[in-house]
Amino acid sequence: MNILSLSGFIPEQICDTIRFFGYEGQQRISHYCRYASDYISQILEDPEIDGAVFPRTCDSSRTIASYLEECGKFVYPFHIPARQDRAAVSFLADSIRRYKTAVEQHYGTGLTDIPERTSLVNERNRKFRRLYARLPELSYSAYLDMLHGILRKPLREQRVPDDLPPCPCPGGPKVFIAGSTQTGSGIVRQIEAASLHIVGDRLPESHRLFSAPEVPLEGDIFENIALSMLSAMPSPSQDDFSRILREDRKELLRRQVQGVIFITQKYCEPYDYLFPAYREMLDGLGIKSLRITVSGSQSENEMALAVETFADML
Amino acid sequence: MAQLYLQLQAKLMREYYRDFSKYAKGRLPEKKAAWVTAFTPVEILEALDMEYIYPESYAAVIAASGKEQDLLRESEKGGLCRDCCAYSGCYNGALSAGTAPRGLPPRPDVLIATNNQCNTLPGWWNLLAQEYDVPLIVLDYPGEGADREQAFSYVTAQHRELIARMEELSGNRLDDGRLERLIQNSRDSVAAWKKVVGLLPEKDIEPTVLFDGISYLITSRCKPETAEFYTAMYEYYAASPEADRGRKPVFWLGYPLWYHPQRYLKELLPDYRVSGSNYVTWWSLDYDGDGPMEQLFTAYNYTFLNLSAKTKRERLQGCIEKSGAKAAVSLRNKSCKCDFVSARYIELPQVELEIDMIDREYLDMGRAGERMDILREIL
Repeated sequence: MNILSLSGFIPEQICDTIRFFGYEGQQRISHYCRYASDYISQILEDPEIDGAVFPRTCDSSRTIASYLEECGKFVYPFHIPARQDRAAVSFLADSIRRYKTAVEQHYGTGLTDIPERTSLVNERNRKFRRLYARLPELSYSAYLDMLHGILRKPLREQRVPDDLPPCPCPGGPKVFIAGSTQTGSGIVRQIEAASLHIVGDRLPESHRLFSAPEVPLEGDIFENIALSMLSAMPSPSQDDFSRILREDRKELLRRQVQGVIFITQKYCEPYDYLFPAYREMLDGLGIKSLRITVSGSQSENEMALAVETFADML
Repeated sequence: MAQLYLQLQAKLMREYYRDFSKYAKGRLPEKKAAWVTAFTPVEILEALDMEYIYPESYAAVIAASGKEQDLLRESEKGGLCRDCCAYSGCYNGALSAGTAPRGLPPRPDVLIATNNQCNTLPGWWNLLAQEYDVPLIVLDYPGEGADREQAFSYVTAQHRELIARMEELSGNRLDDGRLERLIQNSRDSVAAWKKVVGLLPEKDIEPTVLFDGISYLITSRCKPETAEFYTAMYEYYAASPEADRGRKPVFWLGYPLWYHPQRYLKELLPDYRVSGSNYVTWWSLDYDGDGPMEQLFTAYNYTFLNLSAKTKRERLQGCIEKSGAKAAVSLRNKSCKCDFVSARYIELPQVELEIDMIDREYLDMGRAGERMDILREIL
């Protein structure tokens, strides 16, 4: 079973999936998120991958199924509620049950270790949180590489290190990374090379992932998983910009951030809509911001130049 | 007949724009106003005697007036990326600039967005909610992919909550009988509109008539005059001459180009006639079910863009067959990722054009002309 999952919205407690972070594929779709089109490419082209599970949380991801209709692999679009109330928790819990059943039926296997997996996710996230708390003293690029490497592995093989290399520029201006999932650490290396000190983030594969509360093992495990998922820091695709702005404001002040680098994929509309409100919040706090759009018109050299200019501003 | 048709149209327009600043001239709206997305269950709002405004439709009107470029630039200055849906760029630009052809809509008392057509709209509404200190309600419709029973229970809980919150806001109580009558009005509007759409393959009618005519099914579908208007429209156009069979029937797959006087690239199609369009069927909602709650659930959970890939493809295929089209013009719309994917499976000669339904600068006419030439050669 090699299911490629598109985002942190896919509950890891149910079964192992391979978390997608990037692939250089053949699919090129106009006005479409490159991250999503590369995901489609890998499903279609990679013989090792036999399944796809993805959330319907943005306009690119809600049309993925159309491109995979004839691939012959396990294809499961996952509806993540756009709300966080009681009815949404119940609905999501039912959806998780249905996902489990669909995997069991397709692969002819029984998924019986959900409580054990839940404990492992809880424990791993505790370790992630401890590392994140120490982020100002650690190399952010090493931290991001560590996260990407671990999340690609089966849960039982995920080993979170106790330590990471130190921050290469501890005296530099303090910056915070916001935006969508990163396909690698290339941009953050450029940021570190510009002597900027990355002290925190709100990336889906990092702070947002382990902001989900621990899942209790007692009671209905599906309800507990659903409640934890919907209690995590919301993605802009979950339609609560007010909460994102409120929580991030606190985090930025707590970490004494001087600049925010907002990195998104081109055609990633949830973040495109969040950005104007986010920038206004930053302006109100007197925090400078830089926006970088990946897979867009900016080349790597242009991005490096933009980061250097931003560093000079700070 | 023409007179009745035009009178009813004028009445519907007058009512809809009554509280826009150009016509209100400082008079405050009498009703609480909601800004809603195009597939919001407005029967609930109408039953509670609320006013509802459609920002998407107004963006189309702005583009048709030729004012969109300045407004798109205006919203870009405010940080809204030009890659975003141009409806939002155009409308938010009008709000920032404080100007638009019919003035500004009444300030919202509530913002209501749904995700049964795309996920862009709730994002746009979230951004609007940062500008206006009013409640934001996002209605979540899981679509065809979800189990029907679970989805019904989830959506109905949201509809009931919407009713409770709008009762509080409007100060009115929902009358079940009135809601049932309004749903019946919507059904009647859909039925009458379908008859109008059925004329397109048969009669010598410009698709422009339908692209513009459908706006009342969006903005006024549960008002009794809408079905009356479409019936008059049907009778008027049913008397048109038969379609010119010498011109090849072509299917317009995607949005109208709101900035274009004919809403489609007529100049590139001199030897064709548009015999069908999927856009003009999108609001033909199916209010099937026992009682208002199930009817609203069916209508709004199973909108075209919320169906599975397979069902969408089958519906589209049916639509094309009815149109008798021998070729298709498929539009890859910069502003909407959701509407063109089904075109991949159409077994008709087709040409793909890169467009935006609002931003006229996005279309390369030279390239579009070359592609049409290729289609001509294939045919």
